[in-house]
Amino acid sequence: MLYRVTHVTTYAYEDSVSISHNETRVAPRRTPGQIPRRTQLLVEPMPVVLAQDVDYFGNIMHFFSLEESHDRLSVTAVSEVDVTGVEPPAAQLTPAWESVPDAVRRDRSYYGLEAFGFTFDSPFVRPEAELEAYARQSFEPGRPVLDAAFELTRRIFQDFKYESGVTTIATPLGEVMRARRGVCQDFAHLEIAMLRSLGLPARYVSGYVRTHPPAGRARLVGADASHAWLSLYVPGFGYVDLDPTNGTIPREEHVTVAWGRDFGDVSPVKGVILGGGEHSLTVSVDVAAA
Amino acid sequence: MTSAIPAGSPTDRANDPFSYPATATGRDEAFDTNGVAHEHTAPLLRSLAALGVDEMQRRWDQARRLIRDNGVTYNVYGDPRGMDRPWELDPVPMVLPSAEWAAIARGLAQRAELLNRILLDLYGPQNLLARGLLPPELVLGSPGYLRPLRGVQVPSNTMLHLYGADLARAPDGGFRVLGDRTQAPSGGGYALENRIVLSRTMPRVFRDCRVQRLASHYRSLRDTLRGLAPRARESPRIVLLTPGPHNETYFEHAYLARYLGFALVEGADLTVRDRRVYVKTLGGLERVDVILRRLDDAFCDPLSLRSDSSLGVAGLVHAVRAGHVAVANALGSGVVETPAILGFLPGLCRELLGEDLRLPSVHTWWCGEPSALSHVLDQLPKLVLKPTFWSPSAPEPVFAGRLSSAELDALRVRIRAKPEAYVAQEQVALSTAPAWTRGRLEPRHVAIRAYVASTSHGFQVMPGGLTRVAATEESLVVSMQRGAGSKDLWVLAENEEVNPVTLLRTPAQRVEILRSGGDLPSRVADNLFWLGRYMERAEGTVRLMRSLIARLTDDSVPGEVPELPTLLRALEVNGDFDPGTLITPTGTRAGGVDLSRALFADHPPHALRATVTAGHRAASVVRDRLSSDTWHVVSRIHRLLDDASRRPAFHLSDAFDLLGELLLLFSALSGLSRENMTHGPGWRFSDMGRRVERLHHTVRLLRGILVPADEDDVPALEALLEIADSIITYRTRYLGAIEVAPVLDLLLTDESNPRSVAYQLLALDEHIAELPRARRSATRPEEARIVLRALARVQLADVHALSAVGTGATRETLDAQLAELEHVGPALAESLTRSYLTHAEPTQSLDGLT
Repeated sequence: MLYRVTHVTTYAYEDSVSISHNETRVAPRRTPGQIPRRTQLLVEPMPVVLAQDVDYFGNIMHFFSLEESHDRLSVTAVSEVDVTGVEPPAAQLTPAWESVPDAVRRDRSYYGLEAFGFTFDSPFVRPEAELEAYARQSFEPGRPVLDAAFELTRRIFQDFKYESGVTTIATPLGEVMRARRGVCQDFAHLEIAMLRSLGLPARYVSGYVRTHPPAGRARLVGADASHAWLSLYVPGFGYVDLDPTNGTIPREEHVTVAWGRDFGDVSPVKGVILGGGEHSLTVSVDVAAA
Repeated sequence: MTSAIPAGSPTDRANDPFSYPATATGRDEAFDTNGVAHEHTAPLLRSLAALGVDEMQRRWDQARRLIRDNGVTYNVYGDPRGMDRPWELDPVPMVLPSAEWAAIARGLAQRAELLNRILLDLYGPQNLLARGLLPPELVLGSPGYLRPLRGVQVPSNTMLHLYGADLARAPDGGFRVLGDRTQAPSGGGYALENRIVLSRTMPRVFRDCRVQRLASHYRSLRDTLRGLAPRARESPRIVLLTPGPHNETYFEHAYLARYLGFALVEGADLTVRDRRVYVKTLGGLERVDVILRRLDDAFCDPLSLRSDSSLGVAGLVHAVRAGHVAVANALGSGVVETPAILGFLPGLCRELLGEDLRLPSVHTWWCGEPSALSHVLDQLPKLVLKPTFWSPSAPEPVFAGRLSSAELDALRVRIRAKPEAYVAQEQVALSTAPAWTRGRLEPRHVAIRAYVASTSHGFQVMPGGLTRVAATEESLVVSMQRGAGSKDLWVLAENEEVNPVTLLRTPAQRVEILRSGGDLPSRVADNLFWLGRYMERAEGTVRLMRSLIARLTDDSVPGEVPELPTLLRALEVNGDFDPGTLITPTGTRAGGVDLSRALFADHPPHALRATVTAGHRAASVVRDRLSSDTWHVVSRIHRLLDDASRRPAFHLSDAFDLLGELLLLFSALSGLSRENMTHGPGWRFSDMGRRVERLHHTVRLLRGILVPADEDDVPALEALLEIADSIITYRTRYLGAIEVAPVLDLLLTDESNPRSVAYQLLALDEHIAELPRARRSATRPEEARIVLRALARVQLADVHALSAVGTGATRETLDAQLAELEHVGPALAESLTRSYLTHAEPTQSLDGLT
């Protein structure tokens, strides 16, 4: 499936901003399930520097700076991505979950070390006792890791309510757990924390998901948001994506942009500005079949 | 009058304040168990004994005074009195023979090389992890491993430019490394200051002992940093990045910056443009080539590293990645500070350097390894437990031997639950060294911090270091944060000559002549401006109060001092204090307590002590820009008021003496400013601060005293002249009684009187014309126009007309003129701040989430 994704981030500042330095991760990366065809990045006003780089996790990152006074910034990324998706392995064939932490720790290959790096606490994913207890209900002794993870993903989807505006990225996971409400970043962080509390390697994935319009109505342009889910590393099988917000296994309808330990590593557009006062932010994402 | 007992007998030694016997179990750096000095310490101890107890005590007092006067301080976190605590230095240095030091130095150089190689691998191919030489947990799970820095090309393959190692002597006599400091090792500046103080306090002893000098080490460091500059330049710009005055070791940041000749900057002084780093100066942006950082790396860039840091420079990581700036130590170098790595160093050393590790570490077990874990659980009471990764919230080290059996069990449970979070170390019985306590030498536990710098020909060890001394005889903990003291470390020279090296240039090197001074950071100019303002404001208050108190200490009763109400009015107008606290409503003489409150209260904000405290703070921030004499005087003023404020009662005559002493110090300060500071932009800002304040003060004084016309003006006029220090001038010019018009001329329009309004305006006009922006611009900047308008007003003033008394016994014309002039000071300060000093725009981190 060939998608054309338009992702527009716009900041409007109350006071003018004299300097702004930014990092963006908006260009979809290559994965076993997708081939990015092209990404066009447009920054307005025109930046003094715009440099492409590859970050620690292999994501495509752009650094740009604005050094003239401005009161508005927009970042538009238009990408074409060919998504084929990867069929997840048969859950029953995956190893018993208890064997995974040790297998990953012992594996000193490139992929083993990479996965091992996703077992530790990270700035947005801190351990909480309640999370482990919640996860253990699915991780029964001897259960194949993916089988348990699928169930955990479905449980989060059922037990938690999607509601924007009740959490921010700084909301501790314990609070999300108690309130049982949040948005896709929260749910991704939550399930990652649960998996890591069991010693399992899980990474945060940022990207887009295609949404289906109600029957008989046209798809709303720009209504789609940027999305987040996670990926569990299964020794011998590789990474398997899990989407607790939708209770699904991402295949052809998810476009992967970047991954890291948590949101902090892959924030689509982040910046440090001088001045600016209050600001308003609008983000629009349009995922269309190309 | 020597003792009759033969020298060296046991009885003699027992009473000898310059000796003690070492205990049978521990090692002492100076004495054996009979109290006989080791060969290498004997000359030192002989010299000290020759000084005698009284002289020793006198020198020690002198050293402490020197430390206080030099402003050598150390901030202790969480202690309300902790800011600017005087540095504790013991007068007896620790001495090491040259051969022993040479072996230690070889070990340290090897260790620096090893740690550097480890860092290069971890931020490069990570072969050490793939090959199982280092547990990946210690890297991938470390908050000190900064992923954005992986793959950065560092200049000359060096990430570790300045390395510090904590060393102690174990009971077997050998030295062990207790810990490695690879991030931004502190203490080197204190070591240097200790050396300077000690060599000044005991010059003969120092010379006779033939001690290796430290300066060449700092010269190597400076050369190394110069060599890191990405651009080929004769004088690359190097800055020392500090977290600011609240940091525990801020003193040494300022000290080292001045010693090495680098600008001391905070994160807000730097800005990234086009992936290059610049320092914001009065003259504009100046490119920075090398940053010597004392800021922890995670805080160095709120964009790519910790977004909650307000101390860093946004975009720095990208500037580093692009190779446009070098940072020492390289960002990310803190990752190898974990004590968990110590147990792996012998294997890593053989693997990476093909050599055995020369200098052993204290026995260390990382509980993340199953075999280590079982050993640790088994031997727990003998061990010290530390967190694998240090963080402000990490638990303190636990001496398991001091725990009850229940506490030990609880600790075992915690370790088993998360073994990888714990490191256990054997408890080393530190050696002792003599410290001067209560008039004699007493043994104290000691540890050394040694310093290593990378140079073009390998790592070079400073011949000396900072010896830290436990606070009490029993204490085993040597941490400056926990009240430990310090000693100088003397490494003796053997066969070679001691070459005095200074950081002054040798004649062969030609210096590029620089005079601009436009590279003054705006923040520094801002603080100098305020230093000038506060000190002038304080001086004005002191003059006013002294005149007042002089009249009160006369035998006259207040009712007989006609100018008293006028003076009090002036003080009130000035906002110095509420006169009600000084004079009771019945007009009786002020009591001592009330007076001290008025003089030394912290409130209102314009009160003398509050002003001086603010000035002292401004000075402390720019300490590296002030001559040590200037800092010394500012500190004295601050301390005088501080001490006085603690006195329970204050009598008028004491207050008068104190104010007199303060005035002398203020005069010294203005003299130093005029004669000892280069008249560059920094001086101009401090002098402008002074002028703006004096202008304002004088205008308000004139307005407060002269606008209300009393029947008999003379006492008030006399007081006014006295406060404005112009009474002599007046007397030499005018023979008759004091009159309003000539006084006005002298204090308002006379351009030759350094206390007049006109004089301040002329000085300000000259300063402003010399500032970088004014020199570049064809039109007059706003601040110049403000001054010119005011100057015209003053120059055109007719003092006779202004002296005229209108209806209601007030001088209305004068009031109107002075009211206009009263706006000038604040307006000018604001305009200067806007043009030159503002960079206080807040930065914000935006995460792109709605």
